[in-house]
Amino acid sequence: MSIEISNVTKTFDSFQALKDINLTINTGELVALLGPSGSGKTTLLRIIAGLETPDQGNIIFDGEDNTEKSAQDRKVGFVFQHYALFKHMTVFENIAFGLKVRPSKHRPSKEAIQQKVQELLSLVKMEELAKRYPAQLSGGQRQRIALARALAVEPRVLLLDEPFGALDAKVRKDLRRWLRKLHDEYPITSVFVTHDQEEALDVADRIVILNQGKIEQIGTPEEVYDNPVNPFVYHFLGNFNLFHGRVHNGKVELGSLKLDVPEHAGTKNKEIVSFFRPHDIDISLEAGGRDDIEAEILFIRAVGPIVNLELKRLENGDYIEAEISKEVYRKLDLKEKQKVYVKPRDFKVFIPEDYVI
Amino acid sequence: MAGSTHGRIIQDNQKKLNHSSGRNSSKAVEILLIGAVLFVFIIILIIPLISVFLKAFEQGAGVYIASITDRIALKAVRLTLITMGFAVVINTAFGLTVAWAVAKFKFKGKNLLVTFIDLPFAISPVVAGLIFVLLFSTTHGVTAPLLNAWGIKIIFAPPGIILATIFVTLPFVARELIPLMEAQGTAEEEAALTLGASGWKTFWFITLPNIKWALLYGVVLTVARAAGEFGAVSVVSGHIRGLTNTLPLHVEILYNEYKFSAAFAVASLLTIIAILNLVIKNISEWKINKQENT
Repeated sequence: MSIEISNVTKTFDSFQALKDINLTINTGELVALLGPSGSGKTTLLRIIAGLETPDQGNIIFDGEDNTEKSAQDRKVGFVFQHYALFKHMTVFENIAFGLKVRPSKHRPSKEAIQQKVQELLSLVKMEELAKRYPAQLSGGQRQRIALARALAVEPRVLLLDEPFGALDAKVRKDLRRWLRKLHDEYPITSVFVTHDQEEALDVADRIVILNQGKIEQIGTPEEVYDNPVNPFVYHFLGNFNLFHGRVHNGKVELGSLKLDVPEHAGTKNKEIVSFFRPHDIDISLEAGGRDDIEAEILFIRAVGPIVNLELKRLENGDYIEAEISKEVYRKLDLKEKQKVYVKPRDFKVFIPEDYVI
Repeated sequence: MAGSTHGRIIQDNQKKLNHSSGRNSSKAVEILLIGAVLFVFIIILIIPLISVFLKAFEQGAGVYIASITDRIALKAVRLTLITMGFAVVINTAFGLTVAWAVAKFKFKGKNLLVTFIDLPFAISPVVAGLIFVLLFSTTHGVTAPLLNAWGIKIIFAPPGIILATIFVTLPFVARELIPLMEAQGTAEEEAALTLGASGWKTFWFITLPNIKWALLYGVVLTVARAAGEFGAVSVVSGHIRGLTNTLPLHVEILYNEYKFSAAFAVASLLTIIAILNLVIKNISEWKINKQENT
């Protein structure tokens, strides 16, 4: 089922949580709402579920306006951040709840409910734990039960609020993969909220980046990561290095470093900020040309396949972070306090008066 | 809930005392303190309790049974039970509504409301009774013309007693439920709603099971106070035998007429209600603690 969010605005007291949000989520998509806390992402999710009413705007499911419908009638599956399992019910009863509370003429038979719950328990791989109470489960298990409970009512949409937020790193990663796999097997339209860019990039088909109640960018993980539309998105989607400089007639000057930026060919003498990712940096021991930046290695962390370097730009003391492969690191035989030449392979230039970060 | 936290603090202190009992001086302190507590406990609680029953049976079981099966005594029992019933039903409904409103919604004046719920505890029961006389007396009450026109009698009649009792017991259920429901939040209810449960089913299957022991605790306190309330009821009752006398008022009348055995026999009924209440209260306290720890 597709979800269309049109012109949605929401204010809490004096705080404007959402400002004129427009977004279409296609049938079968897995979309991440990504943003820092207070960006309005959870509010948007709750408005889609009917747990919150928008001040203005409409929520349309498959062309049908659902704005006035209550949460009870929307047939959405909602997985809460802290699971919200029913404490006084067993795992089985939790999953069966949505089917048991149906009006008698729509309620499946006892056997049918039993079968459905068993099916879901095996889907989340927790058949043995049917008789346990939520208090007796680990965080990851609770999360899976919350998901099974939401799926039991065969929802048209699955909404997940920070689904892995309260779990430790290892379990997070496993569950993340598992959710992706589940979605590939059961392609139900799903929206999840997260503040973790890695999670969004890893799981989602498309990412919606929210900031201060507004959508900054919508796109596939590749699109938003490779072509962030503004400094905020660049900033939010991973580690970065930032240089201040000037742009004039298609050339960026970052101190002595001069780079070509054809997209700013018409810009005359403006201040800019330039971003580049730590993994988009080439390091060499000898000066290759005028594009190189002279830097000193301050610190090396060589754990795992990627080596993190912290460098200081000698010209002005700017701090540079770099990620290089272990092979390159070994080949260059880098040491702390060593002088090297650094060259950004790929970078983005933004004119800051257009944006505020 | 204040009572139960207090209890926990005492338990903790006892644990600390036990811990340090290895040394002789603290052992002496321990014996002294426990001894003092036991002494006061026996003088203030146990001896009076036993003496109620001793006095009640002083002239034999025959007099005891005659006293509590006396027509007027039975009428008092009946009125007390009716009053208790009204107080429990109305205060449970009120308590649930207030706690739900306070815990699940945001609105202006919420803190003021919560403060004013305690008013009946702060006010002297006599004043509480007089408020109702002022409002509903057929001779000088504010609503006297209306009451006389419709021929309704509230003061010096059971409705007045029921009203006064509801007033003095109003906070019990609400006070038990508000902190609990605030702590539990709305997530489980929201989960039930998104699963398609109606408002009523959500309340019945989700909210009620989560608060049932605290609710029972509040009801027990309401019953105890409703059964034993003397001051406010005394003011509005008019002491008409067989008509407007509750058990505590009946005990007073018997006592004033020097029918001591009969007075204590009826008093023993109130004592039995109190002991039953204590048992139920402890069970629900224990269950609440268990629930909090899971």
